[in-house]
Amino acid sequence: MIVEIHHEVLELSPTGALYWPANKALFIADAHIGKVMHFRKNGIALPTEVRFSFYEKIAHLLTQFEVATLYFLGDLFHSDHNSEWVDFCRWANQQAFKKVLIEGNHDILPKTRFEQAGLEVYTALDLAPFYLSHHPIEATAPKINLCGHLHPGVRLKGLGGQYLKAPCFYKKPHQLILPAFGGFTGMYIIKPTAEDQVYVLGESAVIAVNKMKK
Amino acid sequence: MKKINIQDWFLDKGWTPQRFQKATWQAYLAGKSGLLNAPTGSGKTYAIWGGVLQRQLDIGQLPKKTNVLWITPLRALGVEIQQTTELLTKAFFPTLSVGLRTGDTPQSERVKQKRQPPFGLVTTPESLHLLISNKGHQHFFENLHTVVVDEWHELMGSKRGVQVELALSYLKSFLPNLQVWGISATIGNLDLAQQILLGRPTENQILVQSTQKKKIEVVSLFPKEMETFPWSGHLGIHLLEQVTEIIRTHPSTLLFTNTRAQCEIWYQKLLEKAPELAGQLAMHHGSIDKINRLWVEDALRQHRLKAVICTSSLDLGVDFSPVSACVQIGSPKGVGRFLQRAGRSGHQPQKGSKIYFLPTHAIELIESLALQKAIKENTIEDRLPYLNSFDVLVQFLMTLAVGDGFMPKPCFEIVKNTFCFQTLTLQQWQWLLNFIQKGSQSLENYDEYKKTYVDDAGKICVASRSIAMRHRLNIGTIMSDASLLVKYLKGGKIGTIEEWFVSKLKTGDVFTFAGRNLELVRIQAMEVLVRKSKSKNTKIPAWMGGRMSFSAHLSQMLRATFFAPETSNTPEWKALRPLLDRQRQLSMLPETNQFLIETFTTKEGHHAVFYPFEGRAVHEAMAAIIAYRYSLLYPISFTLAYNDYGYELLSDQPIDIEALIDNNLLTTKDLIDDLRKSINLAEMARRKFRDIAVIAGLVFQGYPQKTLKSKHLQSSAQLFFEVFKDYEPDNLLYLQAVAESFDHGMEQGRLQQAFERIEQQEICWKKAAQPTPFSFPLITDRLREKLSSETVEDRIKKMYVQLEKQLQ
Repeated sequence: MIVEIHHEVLELSPTGALYWPANKALFIADAHIGKVMHFRKNGIALPTEVRFSFYEKIAHLLTQFEVATLYFLGDLFHSDHNSEWVDFCRWANQQAFKKVLIEGNHDILPKTRFEQAGLEVYTALDLAPFYLSHHPIEATAPKINLCGHLHPGVRLKGLGGQYLKAPCFYKKPHQLILPAFGGFTGMYIIKPTAEDQVYVLGESAVIAVNKMKK
Repeated sequence: MKKINIQDWFLDKGWTPQRFQKATWQAYLAGKSGLLNAPTGSGKTYAIWGGVLQRQLDIGQLPKKTNVLWITPLRALGVEIQQTTELLTKAFFPTLSVGLRTGDTPQSERVKQKRQPPFGLVTTPESLHLLISNKGHQHFFENLHTVVVDEWHELMGSKRGVQVELALSYLKSFLPNLQVWGISATIGNLDLAQQILLGRPTENQILVQSTQKKKIEVVSLFPKEMETFPWSGHLGIHLLEQVTEIIRTHPSTLLFTNTRAQCEIWYQKLLEKAPELAGQLAMHHGSIDKINRLWVEDALRQHRLKAVICTSSLDLGVDFSPVSACVQIGSPKGVGRFLQRAGRSGHQPQKGSKIYFLPTHAIELIESLALQKAIKENTIEDRLPYLNSFDVLVQFLMTLAVGDGFMPKPCFEIVKNTFCFQTLTLQQWQWLLNFIQKGSQSLENYDEYKKTYVDDAGKICVASRSIAMRHRLNIGTIMSDASLLVKYLKGGKIGTIEEWFVSKLKTGDVFTFAGRNLELVRIQAMEVLVRKSKSKNTKIPAWMGGRMSFSAHLSQMLRATFFAPETSNTPEWKALRPLLDRQRQLSMLPETNQFLIETFTTKEGHHAVFYPFEGRAVHEAMAAIIAYRYSLLYPISFTLAYNDYGYELLSDQPIDIEALIDNNLLTTKDLIDDLRKSINLAEMARRKFRDIAVIAGLVFQGYPQKTLKSKHLQSSAQLFFEVFKDYEPDNLLYLQAVAESFDHGMEQGRLQQAFERIEQQEICWKKAAQPTPFSFPLITDRLREKLSSETVEDRIKKMYVQLEKQLQ
């Protein structure tokens, strides 16, 4: 789905990624790579196949968009080192585009590790007209804060007692919060107000939903 | 030491032992195991413990270490049993003691028990497993000769029953002469209860039944004006006056409610209506602090209270002399439970018990008749045991690995010897071993899975101390929703409350708890800090677990009653007449050979309501099947509601009943297959999986208190469920969730019968101009399932997000 935010055209992907054609920039928040192996290392038997979902989704995105820079908006790697980091480095080093990490609270690996994977690491980044961070920042106006951390999801209501919960892009006046990209991540149900907009992830499309006052 | 006979001692004290007590002593002393079928308050503790002491008296020597384990389902009961048995023990052996080992036992006491093991140890299934997770536990148990399992009828229908089965089979593997005694109330399948606990019947086991039987009288309460009787279920407050009158005219009364919320509301309303009861009215439910609960139990014993409002928390064990009257508010959902509650009243056995039934909505009056019929015919429901509970087995194997480690081969035999795992295949066993050793993966080169390792002797042992610690914490948290302690800001515990309720409250919100109005100040660590509030505008916690289904027996009785002309002269039917007239006017009253379907439209959407009278569990499955079959005809989304009388499909599109009939959607063909495919099964399995994930140790609930961080290990059972569904559908824990939704939730056989019955019936479709009396409890039900054959995108497009009110 294509939206225009402060005169910039952006494409919202049902994978949860955000593409900015003018800059050939792809944004991904909360990938939580390494989570599967972190759990397994601690004796919790998650199926190892889950960890491939990141690579499958990103491979698909790369056929769809021409990417010059890939921005990870934090929580790229779930915890301390495990073998999934090796997989990620191998993949990252094969990619020709520039890779940038905005540090998240889960990214506790030493900075040198991220640099080995060819990532430029920042705590936040000014990318006019955007301002990139992991945690949502309130006062970035007039810049638009692109961020993650929240894992936003929304509860939708319909006639006949229907309801549905789904991950979403959460747009506030000067902020766009991305849904979590990772395959094994939960979501936080947001409570939008009239000035907010939510874009819900369907199976193969992103949908702007109607709003109704209480 | 002089020879003492326990029976003489009893006679000396002026107590005449009852026949079942003597029979139990005799069998016990002959070395037998057994099941004692005796109601609460009948002296069952003495029946068993008398035998234990007599044996000790016969031996003449003082015993060493722990000789007897007493397993009870509730910690609160444990206190009671420990006091009774210790008092009795001290009368003969002043130096012997009985200890208590539950989740509440302080660390210092545990250490003491290890150094100086008490003669008897009262414990819960979880705490017994914790003992097995200690190193050197076989040494600790080496003098154990008897295990008593109290309230076995309660335990056997739960996974804690499986815990007991596994623990017993394990103990027997190194204590071959262990005597096992169960105590159970009357249930339909007492034989099976005995077999599960003791194994196949042999000469060395016995069933002892106490023969006391009380006459039970059921009296239904009606409002003075039937027109004011609500159609849809509520709290029954409209009958407040009658209840106040009952309390006034009886020396003591017990009021049973089905939920803790109902309990709280009734307490408040009674005090408003009859302020003179203040001080003589108390409340008893599972969330109230232990000290307060014990006070209430004690006051009941000493007749200091005029009335107590309680939930099932007073169903079990707790011994007190009977009250003069019992009131059941709303449907008890089972004959056994109703009888147990009724049995709480009646001072003299020959006089019998009296219980008032207070219907919360009109149709429950029919239920009252069904209950009376069931009591007359003495049909009591079965308790269904769990089969193949792999989650409990995974937990148990880890418990052994944490303790002294285990050898797979002999362990397989121990597991196979239980009733629960009698059909366990070698293949499943291999899968389970692989699950705890390799995280159910096979060909992984650099997998870092770590939980257990195999030592040189071939023993499976736990891999690290942190995994062992997490496992121990997990045993204790079996199947309870995380609960938080409610405390006054200035100190003083009030009780515990489920986390999900607290999560709905904001700072400053006022809620009613334990009969008090409390304002939420803040939540910190695992504590909810509150202060007293005078605000009238409060929220009442609605605890989980309020929804039970009719037992099979009761729904059979309900059907029999509804269509039975001989009951039509009872006061209940007379009271119902205006409502039935209205039903006839708007729709119809079905006969035995008719199956009623009603359709009507409201601003909520298009309703189709079906009335098979089969009980909630069957309706849940039926609704899912019909909705699924219909959704194959047209892309459509439904929400489903069900109760004990029928079920409802609600949609934003009209539901074409003609198409439903013409396409033969009510057929018995492919029943199970359709159920499997209906989304509802996945929904049910997802719910079942919550417990499974916790028990099997997938979901780590965090450390109690905040001292240790759980280091990025928290995740919800839902996420696990999705991941297994998508990536590892042959995972036994995932399959177990699906199987449990089938066997326990809906009882396949009954479902088949229900559809067969409908095939024989004439289908009557009524288009009603407005909701009918029968439909009312259903359409006002807010807890709903959904089923859809539309695409996610199509559904999202029709929906909207509800906005929060803007601040300012």
